[in-house]
Order: sequence, then C-alpha cells, then structure tokens
Amino acid sequence: MRVVGSPEIRENLVVRAASGDVAAFEELYRENANRVYLLCLRMCRDPSLAEELAQEAFVRAWQKLGSFRGDSAFSTWLHRVTVNVVLGDRRSTARRESRVRPAGDDLPVDLSTSEPSPGQALDLERSIAALPEGARLVFVLHDVEGYRHKEIARLTGVAEGTSKAQLHRARKLLRKALAS
Amino acid sequence: MNCHEWTNRIDDFLDGRLEAAEAEDLQAHLADCPSCTGELASIRELRDLAAALPRSLEPPRNLWPGIEARISEAKVARGRFGRRALLAAAAAVVVVSSVVTAYFIGRSQAVVVTAEPPAAVESGPSAVLLASFEGLGVNNYLDTRTVLLDALEARKHELSADTLDLVMENLLLIDQAMDRIAEALGEDPGNEFLMKQLAGAYRRQIDLLQRAVRMPAEV
Repeated sequence: MRVVGSPEIRENLVVRAASGDVAAFEELYRENANRVYLLCLRMCRDPSLAEELAQEAFVRAWQKLGSFRGDSAFSTWLHRVTVNVVLGDRRSTARRESRVRPAGDDLPVDLSTSEPSPGQALDLERSIAALPEGARLVFVLHDVEGYRHKEIARLTGVAEGTSKAQLHRARKLLRKALAS
Repeated sequence: MNCHEWTNRIDDFLDGRLEAAEAEDLQAHLADCPSCTGELASIRELRDLAAALPRSLEPPRNLWPGIEARISEAKVARGRFGRRALLAAAAAVVVVSSVVTAYFIGRSQAVVVTAEPPAAVESGPSAVLLASFEGLGVNNYLDTRTVLLDALEARKHELSADTLDLVMENLLLIDQAMDRIAEALGEDPGNEFLMKQLAGAYRRQIDLLQRAVRMPAEV
C-alpha cells in the first residue's frame, strides 16, 4: 500500500513539480515549510527575515528542481538550498544589520516533551540566539543540523579549522550561559 | 599535555575526530582527572540537548501565497522559452545535422570527414559538457566559424546552388536555435540541460561547415 508521504509519492511529487506542476510543488512546500522556516529562523534570528528567506528558499528550489538528481532525499537537498539562501543573504549584511532583534522568544519549545525539559530547551534557544554570528551559524549547522566541518567550511567559505574553532567557542559560550 | 590542552581536544573526541591513539590517551587522562571528566560530560550534555531541539516550527503566516505568486511569474516568463520551445530549438539543431549529413552523403559517397562527428550531448554528466566546451573552445568558436565561412566562400563556385542554399539555410536555423537557448540561459544560467544543448549546437554548426568545406567539387 502506498501512503501519503512515502518515498514513492514524494518522488512522484518531485518529478511533477520539476515538470512545472505547481500543485505538486505546493505539496512539497506543505511537507517541508516548517523545517525550512525554523532553519532560517535559527540561522538569522529575525522572524520576519526568516519568513522572507524561507520563501526565497522555496522559490530557489523551484528554479533549481531541474538539477535535483535524486542522489539524496528531496528534504536534504532543500535543506542545502535553504542554507545557501541564508548564507547568501548574510553576505549582504547591510540589510540585516538594521533589523535584527533576538528571536529567543519566537523559537519553538515543544511543551509536550519531557526530555530535554522545556525550560532547558528554551534557555538553549535563547542562548544560541545570543551567540556571535559566526559561532551561531557553525553551532546550528553542526550540533543542531548535523553538518560536518568540511561541509560547513565549504558552505560558509571559511577554513575547516575556523569552523572547528567557532564550534569550540560556541559550545564554551553556551555552557557558560546555561550554567549562569 | 595539561588539562587546558586536553579540554581543547574534548570537542574533537566527542565528534569522533581524534586519532585512535590520541583518543586512548585522552581516555587515560579522563580516568584520573575529575575536571576534564566534568568538562566532557558538560559538552556531551549540551550536544545532546542541541540534537534534541525541535526541527520544525510553523511560520507565523502562510508563506505559500507569496511563493506561488513568484513562481507563477517565473513560469509566465519561462513560457517564452518553455520546455517545449526549447526542446523544439534543440531538436531543430539535431534535425539540421541529420538532414545535412544525409544530404552530403547522398550527393557524394566521396565525402571525406576527417573530424570526428559531434559527440552526443543530449545526455551525460556535466563533465561531458565541460569537455565539449574545452574541446571546441567557446572563445575560439567565432574564429573557427569565420575561418570556415571564408573557406566556404572561397570555393562556393565549386558547389551547386542547392548545396549552398542548404548549408546557409541550416546555419541560420542553428543560429536561431542557439539564440533562443542562449536567451533562456540568461534567465537560468545554471541550467545544465541548456548548456549541453548550446555546446551541442556549437559543435554541430562547426561540423556542418567542415563538411561543406570538405565536400568534393560539384560544378
């Protein structure tokens, strides 16, 4: 039996979207929007900018669907497109500098979960949002999203050693913040 | 190695980036050092907490209408160079090549083609595309084309009017197809399919001219 959200259905959606089917792409949007939005929010901290970047990520994905070869899951590919969109925006810093506000209170805490405690997660989200930008990006990509330093270095245009140093710094600052 | 230096290695240890021997040394140190053991536990706790954070959050508003509006605009713009039109342009290039090849072979079994015929470029990895461009040399394309057109001009009195008409008509068709592909590439510069088609069109046009120039005299 084929179920909604199964790999076959999703693959079919991707094929249809790549051939210009907007309804199929909307299905893909519904499946992935929340994850894309949260990734943007964690990386940029600004809720309204995160909305714009999430939209941009989906528009970019639509434009690039022809180059998606199915080597990885669509969600993984979309994730990378999103990271590239956010990092691209980061390079045009002037726009963001005037509008940043810490987003710790906008970040999610699933109150139904017991481990980690909601309080711990909220503290961590706030502390991540307060990190210096370079350390925050590396921490989110490495410890939250599971990217490796080599890939982070390639995406952000820094040396692998710099990525490691930023992670070390982020973890140190976060432990200090959480302990206080 | 002192505790401070080991502390700097704990990140690498937890992330599995330490060499086996170094990892063993660190573990031996941890067995005797409550401070570094505490450090390790603290980093591990943070890492686990981060990995357990939620992965999704519903945006405050529905983002789809904005996305739909933008991709619909793009779709309208792309309609000018829609897939069907681009495939038609690409197909025109292939048909031109096939027709001309058949014509030349039909006119004379003595056609000498020293150059390899164009490689199939309709499919394959991007390496094929890069090789096509490198092999032909995009920068040299116009020069090569000019040299071949001059050569064709120099011996046009040896070729029949039918042959010359066919060659010029098909050069024009390939030019038109290339214009459409190049224009579409302007809108979508990273599109590998379009780049392959453009590279293929370059090769086919040069091939057409080479065949015409090398054709035995008819008149």
